[in-house]
Amino acid sequence: MTATMREIEFRDAVREAMSEEMRRDMRVMLIGEEVAQYNGAYKVSRGMLDEFGPRRVIDTPISESGFAGMAIGAAMLGLRPIVEFMSWSFSLVAADPILNNAPKMLYMSGGQYGCPVVFRGNDGAGGQLGSTHSWAVEGLFSNVPGLKMAIPSNPADAKGLMKTAIRDDDPVFFLESERLLSLKGDVPEGEHLIPFGQARVARVGRDCTLVSFGRPVHFCLEAADALAREGIDCEVLDMRTIRPLDAGAIVRSVRRTGACVVVDQSWSFGSPGSEVAALVHRECFDDLDNHVHRVHSADVPAPYSYDLEQEYLPNTRRVCEAVRACLYRA
Amino acid sequence: MPVQITMPRLSDTMQSGTIVRWNVKEGDSVSSGTVVADVETDKATMEMPVYDDGVISKIMVAAGQQVPVGTPIAIIAVDGDDGSSTASNAVPAQGNASPAAPAASASPAAQQPPRPAVAPSTPAAPAERVRVSPLARRMAEELGVSLDAVRGTGPSGRIVKQDILAAAHQQPAPPAPAVLDTRAQPAQTALAIGTALGAGSSEVVVSGMRQAIARRLVESKSTIPHYQVSMRVNMDPLLELRTMLNAQLEPQGVKLSVNDFIVRACALAMAAHPFFNASWAGDRIILHGDVNVGVAVSLPAERGGGLVVAVLPHANRKGLRDISTETRALAEKARTRGLGPEDMAGATFTISNLGMFGVDNFTAIINPPNSAILACGAAVEQPVVRNHQLVVGHEMQATLSLDHRVIDGAMAAEFLQTVKHNLENPATLLV
Repeated sequence: MTATMREIEFRDAVREAMSEEMRRDMRVMLIGEEVAQYNGAYKVSRGMLDEFGPRRVIDTPISESGFAGMAIGAAMLGLRPIVEFMSWSFSLVAADPILNNAPKMLYMSGGQYGCPVVFRGNDGAGGQLGSTHSWAVEGLFSNVPGLKMAIPSNPADAKGLMKTAIRDDDPVFFLESERLLSLKGDVPEGEHLIPFGQARVARVGRDCTLVSFGRPVHFCLEAADALAREGIDCEVLDMRTIRPLDAGAIVRSVRRTGACVVVDQSWSFGSPGSEVAALVHRECFDDLDNHVHRVHSADVPAPYSYDLEQEYLPNTRRVCEAVRACLYRA
Repeated sequence: MPVQITMPRLSDTMQSGTIVRWNVKEGDSVSSGTVVADVETDKATMEMPVYDDGVISKIMVAAGQQVPVGTPIAIIAVDGDDGSSTASNAVPAQGNASPAAPAASASPAAQQPPRPAVAPSTPAAPAERVRVSPLARRMAEELGVSLDAVRGTGPSGRIVKQDILAAAHQQPAPPAPAVLDTRAQPAQTALAIGTALGAGSSEVVVSGMRQAIARRLVESKSTIPHYQVSMRVNMDPLLELRTMLNAQLEPQGVKLSVNDFIVRACALAMAAHPFFNASWAGDRIILHGDVNVGVAVSLPAERGGGLVVAVLPHANRKGLRDISTETRALAEKARTRGLGPEDMAGATFTISNLGMFGVDNFTAIINPPNSAILACGAAVEQPVVRNHQLVVGHEMQATLSLDHRVIDGAMAAEFLQTVKHNLENPATLLV
């Protein structure tokens, strides 16, 4: 492969994926608040109205339930809509269409109607947005069968996973992070597809497996650097997608390291983190030197205060502490 | 309300228990699940947890003391109790009953009935549980590290990977465990069987008794330098005498077994051979006063099978009739109700007899802390040479297993000669 790489921002990578797919497939469209004339509340869709016109890049009122439902209907009848939620926090008012209709459509219609729609937007704490606007929905939504969930941690994965999401025949929940939109990274030009259910080994190590996805992957990498100075060699797995989950990558790594720490910014109770812990305890029981340790957001509504929010979220220090505890080096 | 802790019945056959060690002292807080003491039963040393939250207000039985099942051994003051008044008034210490302070069993209605320290349906905790992470356990097996030799540094003393690595680093040669590992033996055996399980195979859960047998015999065979000495004994005079005695004693309900004569022959031999009634004690050898002869008794399958050693105390001071009656009673008790620890304690020499099964000869493993065990086969009718003539007679093979630290080969031969002489001249056993 000799794809030309350029360093671009995360938001540009997402737009590039959407634009390439819209050029490639007339059925693909973008719909959401401020996506057209304002170029997107976070400038992800900059220039797309100019290129694709108002029939395919559609501004909507503040009515998540309405436009999400409309997109689902369009998907059922053959289009491949991309729905932008300005924040996944706002998707909660569209819970009925996105959870009760989209993921169940293929099943409930006996295979007559699929629902190839992509829901995307900012997930997790944006930075002092308060409790109601700081949702990390991965725990809540990944509980639902019938949907897929991608959570990229870097620009290249954002492009590759978005293109795969658009081409996927199931509803895909695509979780971006406001804190990552300006992150720069090398992204291949042109065709770049990353299959779902294939984790990325972000760092190779032998002492402890760190399992994460999305923004907390960066905390894991920082923690791994810090721990390396203490002689602790961490392996970092970036899961990329939660549904499907690359269980094989986790099991292979933990069987080698004998220790596992999950870092998941959703709340701990009934979360991807608890699912990974259950998986590891089931599949790697005889390989473990300690139980799986978990780093989540604190079990409280997100605080507004800057200092409290930093402590509420998974962070590098908390990851380091969990790894040391897991290796009995606390 | 104060909660009285009584000596729990930790096994079917347990009559009494010995407090090996208290893990708490008066005034210590405990919560449900706290292991307050280690209790030695007839089968194993077990952990004794409590099932109440509170403070130990009184310890009534000191470590080392043996008390019957049901005896109050401690009192827990739960919230709001005045522990001291509880101890002095409501529940008197064992053996301290007075009219003013009736024992708990005498006035059960006057107070909370004593709660069993262990629920009857709860299986007894395995003896001396070692906490090991799964990875550490696997690594220990792979590296040949004995878990007994490793001190766990994890929570609650859990043995973890780094402990195994440290131990493996210190270990001289991989194949030989640094320290005798008596506990790991059953686990390794289970593993070996587990990996070989084929169609029709099954696994049997190891009972406490089987674990005790395994532990004691591994300890014996791997710490005592065993060797064996055998001798043939002409049993014709003894069998003849026995037939006569049993015929005459039948109305009195006495039936002497061949083994009773052997017990008596050995017990009497000790007077001239004190080192056969002795124990190795590291820097010295203990010569025991009385001869307490242990007799190995196999248990029927319906009692779980296995083997116990019933002890006949002061056998050197007992006649054949007493030896016979007491041995029969002990064997009967072992096979029906089970022996209490007092029935199995204090053997100074042991006899194992498989003659009744037609066995010609075998060797036995020393029953620590004995220094010798005699294994007897059957008195078999066979061609023998007597007075330069080939005749038909009964001979028995007796095989001694000996602790070479205490007894040398010539000593063993001399002892066997004495036993042989006693058996071949059975009048010496009568008077």
